[in-house]
Amino acid sequence: MANVHVFCFFASYVVALALEGLAVARRSRLLRSLSFAFALAGLAAQTFYLVARSNAADLPPLLSSSHDWLLVLAWLAVVFDLTLSAILSGVGRSVPMGLFLLPVVLLLIGASDLAGAATSPALAGATDIARRGAEERALRGWGMLHASLLVFGIGGVIVGFLFSIMYVVQHRRLKRAQGAPNALSLPSLATLARLNWWSVIVSFPLLTLGMLTGIRLVYLSRHTSGPIGFADPLVVGSGLVWLVMVAFLIWVLRSDHVGGKQVALRTIWAFGLVLVTLLGLQVLFNGHTSAPAHHNAESTETPRSANLERATRQ
Amino acid sequence: MNVQVVYCTHQTTPLALRERLAFASVEQLTRAYETLRTTFPQSEHVVLSTCNRVEIYAAQNESSAPLTQDQVAEFLSRFHGVPQNDLGGALLWQKGPEAVRHLFEVASSLDSMVLGEPQIVSQVKEAYRVAQENDACGPLTHALFQGAIRVSARVRSETALAVGRVSVASVAVGEFGKSIFDRFADKTVLVIGAGEMAEETLRYLKDEGAEAIVVVNRSLERAQRLAAEWGGTARPFDDLDKWLAAADVIVSTTGASQPIVDVARFRAARAASEGKPVFILDLATPRDFAPAVADIDENVFLYDIEALQATCENNRKQRVREIDRARRIVEEETDQFLHDIYHKATGPIISQLRAGWRKVCQDELDQLFAKLNRLDANERRGIERTVERIVNKLLHPPLEALRDEARKGTPQGLMDALKRLFFTGE
Repeated sequence: MANVHVFCFFASYVVALALEGLAVARRSRLLRSLSFAFALAGLAAQTFYLVARSNAADLPPLLSSSHDWLLVLAWLAVVFDLTLSAILSGVGRSVPMGLFLLPVVLLLIGASDLAGAATSPALAGATDIARRGAEERALRGWGMLHASLLVFGIGGVIVGFLFSIMYVVQHRRLKRAQGAPNALSLPSLATLARLNWWSVIVSFPLLTLGMLTGIRLVYLSRHTSGPIGFADPLVVGSGLVWLVMVAFLIWVLRSDHVGGKQVALRTIWAFGLVLVTLLGLQVLFNGHTSAPAHHNAESTETPRSANLERATRQ
Repeated sequence: MNVQVVYCTHQTTPLALRERLAFASVEQLTRAYETLRTTFPQSEHVVLSTCNRVEIYAAQNESSAPLTQDQVAEFLSRFHGVPQNDLGGALLWQKGPEAVRHLFEVASSLDSMVLGEPQIVSQVKEAYRVAQENDACGPLTHALFQGAIRVSARVRSETALAVGRVSVASVAVGEFGKSIFDRFADKTVLVIGAGEMAEETLRYLKDEGAEAIVVVNRSLERAQRLAAEWGGTARPFDDLDKWLAAADVIVSTTGASQPIVDVARFRAARAASEGKPVFILDLATPRDFAPAVADIDENVFLYDIEALQATCENNRKQRVREIDRARRIVEEETDQFLHDIYHKATGPIISQLRAGWRKVCQDELDQLFAKLNRLDANERRGIERTVERIVNKLLHPPLEALRDEARKGTPQGLMDALKRLFFTGE
């Protein structure tokens, strides 16, 4: 389990995506099943990897590093893809979700490889101050809440982004009066518009709460070895992204008579900007830390000993 | 195996003659089965009668004579009161593997007028059910029709022969309408004109749950007739603009020589509709809606007959590309079916041969072991195994020859020869 490398599940997802594309082109259920199997195998490998990383860092994957946080996001996206595919397949529908979701998953895994693998100094500091049990628990608790809210909020953003792309593809087909190839049967415009609206409605409060808990974390991190300031690029960037989301939400809620395609296009722009900014910040600034990237599950750079060493230096 | 089919289809026989030969009601079919049973008591029968084909399948065991084309033609002639001269060369006849292959192709919709259409397998199932109810089936027809239903399912799941719709109305509703709306129960359907295409489209819309149907026509009387038929309401033609704004789905099939809805008129209607999606099917020739209506806003989805027919044609071409794959499955299944049937026929002979030889061996071994009573258990087992190997080696050539012959058909001659040569009795 400890020998699982990022390449293992990355390759599985690449094969799953290629098979999904072939399944659409050849209208083959067998290829679709194979794609599902490869994605499932990738998910299993990724789960082992995250568990190994978490054990090595002695922190939940959401807290251990930007690298792991991005992988959790990718993991959730794959779970969403497989669950939805299984449910739709159960009711006789064959929507090629993987064709839309797997590229994003690959992008997230790619970004995770560039992002920092070291624990945030703030959380590392939490380990240092283990004696102060209440403060440590508070920092970890708020950190966990902050990361969870952000990961689910961004998950909602990804899903909304993809539903909007599906809407545009479907709309384009319908406007051009092109028949629906069975293998690329997307949901109806009405369904996609509804799903898109819900993804906006759900992801915004999650991101907002993520922001608020982030502010609380900034406050709590003052007592750690790596305090986070309000001038931290990730904090500033996230704030700007949140403002974009606010502006977009206001526009969505006030535009009763705007066509679904307009909403979808603006969702693509707004959510695309959110994703690019957040991923870019994670990669450029390695989350709230500046440690170098890592490469496999057994060689995490954030073992408990490293945190302790940092504490000793302090 | 004796299996025959006598048939006429849309490919070989004009509709007028098919109508005369058809078994239109269950009562007529019941009478037909009674007559067939009386006339050909040694045969099993299944009659498949649809608007595109009349087929009579018959099967008998090896000892009975197969039905000839003339016998079935005479039956059809008498039953329907159609002079045999009128039948001319309309009736075709197949037997054995060709008859099996024909049924498998029919059930898989390879022989249908609309390639890949799904109704035929239901019709095959129904024909089989009615035959069972009339005690007309036997072991061969059971195996044959169950095999046909299995082959049809395999073709549908392993090929794209039934993928995509091929009629204008089904394409309109299934490939476009259902991609815009997720349900039709809460949609208002406006029908302009009362043409035949409108009725066919309404059938599909009703199947999808459409309830609120408004018919607008220059002749209010015709509108009322169509509305009554489909549970809708008729409105005078003067109300058209109001309903253009209110409708979610518009089906237009008037016989007007000029478009009745131009851009200005529809733009005004859109202003009152708050920009909700509208699905327009312009099934009229010449068109009822100006093509530029589609560009008024992004939520106007306009399809004319040309666009719908182009989609139908594409789907048809895609189905045609699947024919070879479907035929390969039919061929494979036909071979497997025949192999199973022939294997069943040779099975008893093989069992008898093995059992007879084993008994002889066992008797001889018992006598030998009685004489050589100093042999221990291991030695006895060794001798038994040696004898068993000798028997198997001796039996191998005749059984292999039987299996080889069984691939081509029931090897009746060889089976008789084996019975006589090895004294297997009956």
